[in-house]
Amino acid sequence: MSLAIAGMGWVTPLGSGVDSVWERLLQGHEASATTISEPFSEQAYSAFRVPESAMAGFSYPRLRRASVISRFAAAAGLEALRAAGVELNSQNAERTALIFAISNGGVIYTRRFYRDIVDAGAQSASPLLFPETVFNAPASHLAAILGITGATYTLVGDGAVGLAAIKMAEDLMANEALEHCLVVGTEEVDWLLCDAYRRWRLLRRAPPIEPFSKQPRGMILSEGAGAILLGQDGPFTIESAHPGGCFTKRAEAEKILERTLRDLAETEIDFVVSSANGTFVDQAECRALKVVIPNAIVYTAKPALGESVGAAGLWQIMLAAQALRSRELPPVLHVRSTGSLQLPRARMSIPRARRAIVLSCGLNQQAAGLRLASD
Amino acid sequence: MAQSDSSNRKNTRARVAVVAAGVVSPLGFRLTETLDSLRNSRNCISPVTRFSVGQCRCKTAGQVSDDRLLATQAEAPRSRRLHRASHMMIQALTELVAQEPHFEPELTVIGTTSGGMSYGEHYYRSLRQAGDLRHAATWIANYPAQKPVIDAQESFGISSPYQVIANACASGTNAIGHAFECVRSGRYQRVLAGGYDALSELVFTGFDSLQASTPEKCRPFDRHRTGMVLGEGAALLALENLDSAQRRGAPVLAEIIGYGISTDNFHITQPDPSGIGPRQAMERAVQSAHVAENEIDYINAHGTATLFNDAAEGKAINRLFNGVPVSSTKSMMGHSLGAAGAIEAVVCLLALQHQFLPPNINFRAADDDLDLNIVANESRPAVLRTVLSNSFGFGGTNASILMRRFKA
Repeated sequence: MSLAIAGMGWVTPLGSGVDSVWERLLQGHEASATTISEPFSEQAYSAFRVPESAMAGFSYPRLRRASVISRFAAAAGLEALRAAGVELNSQNAERTALIFAISNGGVIYTRRFYRDIVDAGAQSASPLLFPETVFNAPASHLAAILGITGATYTLVGDGAVGLAAIKMAEDLMANEALEHCLVVGTEEVDWLLCDAYRRWRLLRRAPPIEPFSKQPRGMILSEGAGAILLGQDGPFTIESAHPGGCFTKRAEAEKILERTLRDLAETEIDFVVSSANGTFVDQAECRALKVVIPNAIVYTAKPALGESVGAAGLWQIMLAAQALRSRELPPVLHVRSTGSLQLPRARMSIPRARRAIVLSCGLNQQAAGLRLASD
Repeated sequence: MAQSDSSNRKNTRARVAVVAAGVVSPLGFRLTETLDSLRNSRNCISPVTRFSVGQCRCKTAGQVSDDRLLATQAEAPRSRRLHRASHMMIQALTELVAQEPHFEPELTVIGTTSGGMSYGEHYYRSLRQAGDLRHAATWIANYPAQKPVIDAQESFGISSPYQVIANACASGTNAIGHAFECVRSGRYQRVLAGGYDALSELVFTGFDSLQASTPEKCRPFDRHRTGMVLGEGAALLALENLDSAQRRGAPVLAEIIGYGISTDNFHITQPDPSGIGPRQAMERAVQSAHVAENEIDYINAHGTATLFNDAAEGKAINRLFNGVPVSSTKSMMGHSLGAAGAIEAVVCLLALQHQFLPPNINFRAADDDLDLNIVANESRPAVLRTVLSNSFGFGGTNASILMRRFKA
């Protein structure tokens, strides 16, 4: 079944608002890196954080004690509804499902909560922080703000979880009682996450992210949210959400991506939004693309926006939609070698573009894809 | 694409069979031990041994024995690195696959709340206290919530896409409910569903900090209830289109016939005192199954034994169902969070197959505000055709599923 994108919302290290972020990407802007450190460690890391200005004036009583991950998600979700001209009331809120895609979740409050236990014992554990550590806290806040009383789900996974959430939305929307499904991907950055990814040899200490390099040098983590309101009508159609699969070894990722691409590329494709982020993902995607659609134009925004993991898949779909809308692709930044892929090194006009593939390869063994078309 | 050809059919109403199940919980390993514990009303709560609880009010939990868990797993070095949540999932899947070796799911849907949290704790504690970080890479790699799902699938060569639902304590029931909808809609023929969670210091201390857990016995729906005890475990159900199952001669253990989900926006940790959230979930499950309220023969309640949860759920049950036998089996095994709904679905399955009411132990005095027919302290024989299982969680997530005894 096909679903339409009725509205989108975006909170990123390049600011908030779909049009504003898109314009900055077209101009070749890159997010500013912030250094994150911890008093007990000599290790410091760079991350792309959401600037305070992006959330200026955004305030809800329900979010008073919530972590930034919930604020990002709420801001993006509300923008998507506004963009679609949908106002939820007691009638249609019941017919709207909410799906969240998350990877690391509320790690800032989780670390603070556990730090108190480690430093001062269980008696100092905060009952205010604990509820914000659960994966579905951001979804529950947005559901409360919107008055959603029906289906609310939080999906957890790696960078491909955003596409898994779209697939789940497709399954839910098979129920004709549902009018809309709001899918939100969200993530927040913390020192602990950076340290974990560094120990996993996936993180670079400082920008840039160099996509498709022969020697992967690592990624920079980022944060924010992306929201997509799905319904029956809208300017973009998700023609096919491919569930992809699960790879047990990194070398197997390429095969799943290849199979996914073959299924999605059954019709003519104008460009691919890749999840290349400076890690092993790049070569897996590059090899699969070269086998299945060697002449495709390939774009990745991760050098500009960073790796936002749980939010990344939603961001990629939004990038594809914006490119189809504006008939332009932003430049791919910091390309050292193209690996024989067609990467736009400068702002590129794609006047007849109608279809795009979004390809997502996660860092924890999940890969998926989807095909998007403009009307 | 790993999806049935009928993906465009809307509102198809396929019947959904449970063709195999696997479980590990404080009640025991496998269906046979679980049944034995339920029938004998066994209290499976014990003092916590995995981490220090000296500063906590609550000092007990339902725990799965590591000695038994690891004894049943392979000796391979990889196996030793896995989180115990992975071992629980592998144990549950081993039992399921033994019943249905040819079950090939198109999708796996699993509920959890905290993944490999204790590995995250080891990692942070070692960082913070300048401890030994030699195993950090193993802890980090095995921490994500999807890892036990991948490990279990990999153990049996299953490579289907998976969805890991983290809807707090409703996760397991949400996973089974969503899987049921996927098969019933005709979009999938076979879905593996369930839930898992392993005890961790962070979560244990969190519930203790909220004073939701009790230093006493867990007494769901009792007038003097003082809170919950935590538990752990994993349970899996193999769901299949009934026609498909019958065509290939698979045994049908029961049917899932309805699913209801609601979101209660009252408070992140407390249900609306009116019980509207649980009531909507149960109403929607009943409507989805096209049955009448008086056809329900037993309710396996969420029943955490906290003051507010039991009051809200009790009110909702009272309003919808008249005198239906109710029990919370958390009284015997604790609250295993993301696994709870899946384990309790297995409890319902066993109750339907063996025609008995699972008990609500530690029950002393009825709560005057809750006019419920509690299955107090002892299991008892009963004629059961249709049963309902509830799970409610933080963030106001509520889920109910309906199961029915299968007669060919």
